[in-house]
Amino acid sequence: MVRAFLKNGDVISGAALAALGVYIMMQAHAWDYYTLDGPGPGFFPFWYGAAMVALSLLLIVNAARASDEGQAVDWPATGRAMATWLAFALSVVLMEFVGFLISFAVLTFFIVAFIFRRPFATATVVAVASALTFHLIFPVALSVSLPTGPFGF
Amino acid sequence: MNFVNVMNRRHLICGAASAIAATAAGPAFAQFKPSRPIEFVVHGGPGSGNDVFARALTTIIDQDKLSPVRMQVVNKPGGGSTTAAAYVVSKKNDPHVIACFTNIWLIDPMVQEAATNKLVDMSPIARLVVEPALVVVRTDSPFKTLKEFIDAAKAKPGALKMSGGSITSRENTVRQLLMQLTGARWAFISFPSGGERIAALLGGHVDMMIVDPSEAGEQVRAGKLRVIAQVNDRRLPGFPDFPTIKEAGYDIPNVPQMRGVVGAPGMSAEAIAYYEDLFLKASKTAAWQKFLNESQLDGEFIKAAELKTFLATFEGELREILKAAGAKVVR
Amino acid sequence: MDIASGLLHGFAVALQPSNVFWCFVGCLLGTVVGILPGLGPAATIALLLPLTFKMDPAGGIIMLAGIYYGAKYGGSTTSILLNIPGESSSVVTCLDGYQMARKGRAGAALGIAAIASFVAGTVGVIGLTLIAPPIAAFALSFSSPEYFALMCLGLALVVLLSGTSLIKGLLALLVGLWLTSIGTDLFTAQSRFIFGQASLLGGIDFMVVAIGVFAIGEVMASIEAGEEAKMLPVPRGIRNLLPSWEELKACRFAFINGSVTGFLIGVLPGAGAAISSFMAYGIEKAVSKHPEQFGQGAPEGVAAPEGANNADTGGALVPLLTLGIPGGGTTAIMLSALVLWGVKPGPLLMTESPDVFWGLVASMYIGNVVLLILNLPLVPLFAQILRLPVYVLFPGILGISIVGAYGASGRMFDLGLLVGFGLLGYTMSKLKYPTAPLILGFVLGDAMERALRQSLMMSQGDFVPLVQRPISGIMLALAVLVLLMPLFGWLNRMRVRAITENG
Repeated sequence: MVRAFLKNGDVISGAALAALGVYIMMQAHAWDYYTLDGPGPGFFPFWYGAAMVALSLLLIVNAARASDEGQAVDWPATGRAMATWLAFALSVVLMEFVGFLISFAVLTFFIVAFIFRRPFATATVVAVASALTFHLIFPVALSVSLPTGPFGF
Repeated sequence: MNFVNVMNRRHLICGAASAIAATAAGPAFAQFKPSRPIEFVVHGGPGSGNDVFARALTTIIDQDKLSPVRMQVVNKPGGGSTTAAAYVVSKKNDPHVIACFTNIWLIDPMVQEAATNKLVDMSPIARLVVEPALVVVRTDSPFKTLKEFIDAAKAKPGALKMSGGSITSRENTVRQLLMQLTGARWAFISFPSGGERIAALLGGHVDMMIVDPSEAGEQVRAGKLRVIAQVNDRRLPGFPDFPTIKEAGYDIPNVPQMRGVVGAPGMSAEAIAYYEDLFLKASKTAAWQKFLNESQLDGEFIKAAELKTFLATFEGELREILKAAGAKVVR
Repeated sequence: MDIASGLLHGFAVALQPSNVFWCFVGCLLGTVVGILPGLGPAATIALLLPLTFKMDPAGGIIMLAGIYYGAKYGGSTTSILLNIPGESSSVVTCLDGYQMARKGRAGAALGIAAIASFVAGTVGVIGLTLIAPPIAAFALSFSSPEYFALMCLGLALVVLLSGTSLIKGLLALLVGLWLTSIGTDLFTAQSRFIFGQASLLGGIDFMVVAIGVFAIGEVMASIEAGEEAKMLPVPRGIRNLLPSWEELKACRFAFINGSVTGFLIGVLPGAGAAISSFMAYGIEKAVSKHPEQFGQGAPEGVAAPEGANNADTGGALVPLLTLGIPGGGTTAIMLSALVLWGVKPGPLLMTESPDVFWGLVASMYIGNVVLLILNLPLVPLFAQILRLPVYVLFPGILGISIVGAYGASGRMFDLGLLVGFGLLGYTMSKLKYPTAPLILGFVLGDAMERALRQSLMMSQGDFVPLVQRPISGIMLALAVLVLLMPLFGWLNRMRVRAITENG
């Protein structure tokens, strides 16, 4: 029972938000709360930090009182979403080094081939076509800058 | 045959003579010439005051063909001047990167822990303009001179209010200096944009403001605002009837709000001389004079060497003023 | 000159072939700029400034204004189709617009957005024509206490945006308030919550948060739910590609609401267009007979904010043209342009440069018509984007998100933030936290804190003026009422339960 409670999303997020609230209040404490000229930089953060702590504790209490077990997590599906996110994050890192065009093509290839499980040929075509379309529209036609790598694109 | 030989020998001798002359003349002939487009870094986004200024300048340089290569405005907004300053420092030793600096390039490193790049560590090139300011009140306000305002502020400390930007801004600096000198005290209310500051004054929610002539000039002309003093060493051509703060009887040091050009750290003397010359030429064009007139700027050109010493002393002065203003000075 | 002769003069100027051309160019550019995230009207106008140096001022301002209000038409496109706000003021359109697209009503949503934009945009220009000077005086009377009360009222709307869980909505709001305070405090130059990163000194860009939480979070949620379930139904047939009469009738009040709210809030310097669209949305939901449909694809939920952000442009031009006071970023650049052309923006502009003032006003009537004609036929075309297979569309959304986040600042750091906010958006949707309150808190929090501190500085620490001043007192009372609404609902449920148990 306790384990299910602790794994409950509301409880975890409530705890995280309570921790954030405490952090905010601690930081706010280091700044001026009220100065000669009116509320200082610590005034607002203190209050919304306090509200955050109070509300997240209320959330945890409510979760304890709730009778339902909550939904089971569909791990494979969540895994797909997280893999996409990870690929996205890594492509952004890659962009720093090789630029938007290549990184975006790689990301697209990954998503089409592995997340949507289309044939490699389709994935390659989509990746190349999308990347080129972006390149033609944004940096070339509209002069909107995109991250560039050593090759200039 | 003989003739050709003689001609060739003459050419050879002439060529040798000029080569010797060139080396003998020394560094003055080792000119810097840019070999790629120049990046003119600006700390605001497109459309900000600095950006418009820089674009006007590059347009004039372009139209009068003063530069053999293109000069490109590069926006590096973020954290006041910190992003732009960090970018310029990252381009150390690159003579093709220059930036348009203003006072906050000096101020940010002093008040922000995270702003580690100081202006004096870069390569000052020239100071282009000084932005004067006007001390204004509403036309229906009881204050006709600066003295009347300050006396009223002394009589009721904290009751009068002025609008302005952040506490590190020039208007607050002038306020601090005046308050220190006279013992008066009045409140400073920060607004993020010029429009809100003027609206606060026009709406009667604050009593006075120190503002750029370009922002308030029209209000004065329309009779909504009254100028009671100007913040500058000398009177502006557009406002000959209003005393400067010194003339009004308050001897505070002048705190110029300046705009100038600085190069990446480690720029060679030749490159600095090149840019100094380029901007000097630009500042003499008719188009630039027109721009200055329309924007109501004071085009007091200061060259590299003088600028460097000026910045060093000015930074020290600003630090003291900021401390007195209550800003947390970290550097 | 009086209004009637001024307007006639204006049309004479605006209908000159060259000015009609500039109007069209501006509207076209504006639409494109609005559609594409990463390009904003402010940046575009700034980039075009050097090209306009030699232009005649009337033609120049007509074109720049066309970009300004044209962008508000285009901004809804990606909001509805891809859940990516094309412009900061289009973020509220995502809430119901994207849901309508998910139900196969993408065409209807786009159509309603265009029509609402037209109606409200025109009303905004009418306001500019008829009541500019008195409205400008009204705007000046708004001081910090009134701004604070307005922001409080806006934040109270969170109650209406929270869906089922009020606690989670409030928590999302608080996180939004926290995120917006990251950066440098205006009053004291104190840096807050920057974790030692110089890149955070300027705060977090709103588009990065909005695109991350909405677009990327949604992509991840859709991938989790499985591609088969999430295929967006593509409307077929002309009847389905445009709004139906029922939908248009339902939006009657929303058109008025958007026009009035957008115009009035647009007049206030410093109040951004995002604020007016949130307020219009909140008001619409508050007076609706079926508020539970909002957030699920209610047409009024698209009409109200889209109208508001268009009327907002008319409002923002009031202080610019009658007082020479720029209300925000884009109007500030337009002010610079006017100065550079030698036109003097200020209280005397209407009388000294009637060509510019009346020519601009007249051209806006024309411009709004041009934009309606331009945008409506594009609706079926854009709706076809949804025909792309999901595996092409989703990477495309990710790509556009990157462009949108990188476009304004050019910093890799912002892309890193985008990745982070994407994860936040996904986590929030999984844990059933509503995302709209987070965005609302982010938009309003900064302005609210500033207004409160300014008010207290002006009154030397006295809270009383906040309630004593009539306008701010009324708005604060309304805010309290709105916040208490769930309490009434709860009390009502208790009462009903008591009755049924006893009866």
